[in-house]
Amino acid sequence: MSENLYTYGIIEKEDFELDVEGVAGADRIYTVDYKNFSTVVSDIDTTEPDRTDERVEAHNTVLQHVLEYDGGRTVVPMSFGMAFKSERTLKHVLRGARRALRSTLNNIEGTVELGVKILTPADGAAPQEGIQATVTDRLAELSINETENDLFTDRLIVNKSYLVDRDQRDVFDAAIDEIGAEYDELIINYTGPWPPYNFVDIHIGAEQRGGG
Amino acid sequence: MAQPDSSSLAEVLDRVLDKGIVVDVFARVSLVGIEILTVEARVVVSSVDTFLHYAEEIAKIEQAELTAGAEAAPEV
Repeated sequence: MSENLYTYGIIEKEDFELDVEGVAGADRIYTVDYKNFSTVVSDIDTTEPDRTDERVEAHNTVLQHVLEYDGGRTVVPMSFGMAFKSERTLKHVLRGARRALRSTLNNIEGTVELGVKILTPADGAAPQEGIQATVTDRLAELSINETENDLFTDRLIVNKSYLVDRDQRDVFDAAIDEIGAEYDELIINYTGPWPPYNFVDIHIGAEQRGGG
Repeated sequence: MAQPDSSSLAEVLDRVLDKGIVVDVFARVSLVGIEILTVEARVVVSSVDTFLHYAEEIAKIEQAELTAGAEAAPEV
């Protein structure tokens, strides 16, 4: 039987099982501990899973549960496709990366990412001068940080991801409502909550020495 | 009150495909032959980015584990 593990994200140490369908039809989501953190995993029969929309959605569904279930928790998310040969290879990597992971978990503790896209109407009416600054200044005040994403059409006047404290979620939701009410011609696409994907960038590599 | 939505595949793809923790395949499949794990982390929290660079010497660690050669051979 394969010992391969598909990984979803890293959290503060906690043991749980989720009854949610994982990547490649996995029916059991559980945690593997290393020191004072846990990795959310499921069993899989390969270390290089093919990418399908269904699997990407399953990866996200599991993370949504981890992020929100039972009061919610801080998650350092894995990119899609991070399957390990065994629990031992996973722990080996966690051991090597433990300082960076600890520091990252501490830095993003209690936060989620929220996405905000604001579009002008399709009829081509030019947006009122200054809307962009008014809106983004307001959301910036309610968030810890933000990243600017690509404005890929002229109609898109705001495309940002915000790092928001869980305690500020209600206030942020209310601000989105108010913006929608004030500028009812604008189309607001409000997404999340996400694990802080746009605020965490970790690359773990392996080097061999001396060819032997 | 407005509630964010997390069901859009495009939004999910935007995030999970090239963001988050990426681990090189060799580090995911093998215990033998890896002498150094390199870790580069960029965490953007306040207005200041935190850059962390680590190179962990792991060759001498857990020799007992490394002797399990058969199990540790990379799967192809």
